[in-house]
Amino acid sequence: MDLNVRPNVGAQSRCADASMQAKVRTEELCIYYGSFKALDRISLDIPECRITAIIGPSGCGKSTFLRSLNRMLDYTPHVRVEGHALLDGEDIYAPAADPAAVRYRVGMVFQRPNPFPKSIFDNVAFGPRMHGVRRKGELAEIVERSLRSAALWDEVRDKLNKSALALSGGQQQRLCIARAIAVEPEVILMDEPASALDPVATIKIEELMRELRERYTIIVVTHNMQQAARVSDYTAFFMMNAERAGFVNEYGPTDELFTKPKDKRTEEYITGRFG
Amino acid sequence: MPRTLYENELRSIQDQVLLLGNMAEHAIERSVQALTHSDLALARAVIEGDQEINRKRFSIEEGCIHVMATQQPIATDLRILVAVLNIITDLERMADHAEGIARITLLMVGEPCGEDFGHIPEMAVKAQTMLRDSLTAFINRDVDAAHAICNRDDEIDALYDMVYATAINRMVQNPSLIAPQTYLLWTAHNLERIADRATNIAERVIFLVTGRMDELNVSRY
Repeated sequence: MDLNVRPNVGAQSRCADASMQAKVRTEELCIYYGSFKALDRISLDIPECRITAIIGPSGCGKSTFLRSLNRMLDYTPHVRVEGHALLDGEDIYAPAADPAAVRYRVGMVFQRPNPFPKSIFDNVAFGPRMHGVRRKGELAEIVERSLRSAALWDEVRDKLNKSALALSGGQQQRLCIARAIAVEPEVILMDEPASALDPVATIKIEELMRELRERYTIIVVTHNMQQAARVSDYTAFFMMNAERAGFVNEYGPTDELFTKPKDKRTEEYITGRFG
Repeated sequence: MPRTLYENELRSIQDQVLLLGNMAEHAIERSVQALTHSDLALARAVIEGDQEINRKRFSIEEGCIHVMATQQPIATDLRILVAVLNIITDLERMADHAEGIARITLLMVGEPCGEDFGHIPEMAVKAQTMLRDSLTAFINRDVDAAHAICNRDDEIDALYDMVYATAINRMVQNPSLIAPQTYLLWTAHNLERIADRATNIAERVIFLVTGRMDELNVSRY
């Protein structure tokens, strides 16, 4: 498979056919910031069309790992990557890999909602326009489809030309999700997507994640144990080793990790007895 | 240590379970003593005392609900609370069986029985010991001890069969003994059920430690 060419498979079909094969796989992935090793030999299989949560104490490399999966780390100076990060079996760090093409297929939603200072419509249409969609009718279809998928359409359908900055925090975050899925990615990375939101907005985001799971592979970093337990199918617990490099201490089905963790350190962390 | 309040709450709940176990064991001992000594006052005291045991059981249950709602326990902590909720149900039912034996004492007034209670006292001692040992296994998280308790249930079942055979034989030999022998059968049944409840507690200990719920109380009889 050519990494730079998106599979011509719609989201619905992709997940209907999803086996438990890994959509994203890392093999002995190490990330360095200069001489500092931030991640140590991360080997994970992220299954397709499931939600995988990444948990662990602050500073253990969760966000670094997430950002490595769509080459966001390219924008950080002095970053070095060893090992492999595979998308559908193809190494996204191979010399021939196009970072923009990777980000087209692997979208990202950040902790703080970051809508562009544009209209709601233009926020969602931004990605498709960048990728060459020009027809107004097609853009309108994409915007409506994306906003519906993000459970925001009914709230903004009558004010698509209004500024996105006028939306509430929860609405802005759902707009960011709509913006991410407007380019029809296959994987959505979420870095603490609800940590800046109130409890009601948080629940809406979690409900949305469960709906999106039907069509996308989702990887979410969260500090909220209960959120990880509520929404995810698999959970990876990251820790820091003696050199302060992050590593995977335990990985498995969420219900097992949260009811019968195999490792004592996992149990201590998830029950709040860590440190 | 982080979560001091939470740790104290968990410890307090488990202490309360031991207290409830002690109350249930005491009720069993007194009920059988009332029976074998035809002590009606003691029997009435056991019957009245069952209300306090019920209140203690519900108090522990409320404590568990409070911790679940406020602390969101998971992993072993969650299994502890789930085990506690089941164990206190078994302990409260054991006390109900003791109350049943006490009521039988009141029914036995005027019935010909003498001092021949057969294997009843032995069943009572074994059942109480199983109760006590099951709670010790709970506090010590001792899976091996829990398995051993389950194996001892067959001894109680065997004694029950002997009580049953004796009672039937006596009823056949002397129909005037039908009523008192039937009461003794009910008593033996109550004690046999107490032993079953102790094996339930042992199963919960194994669940708490391993996360697996295995049916161990399968009698060979």
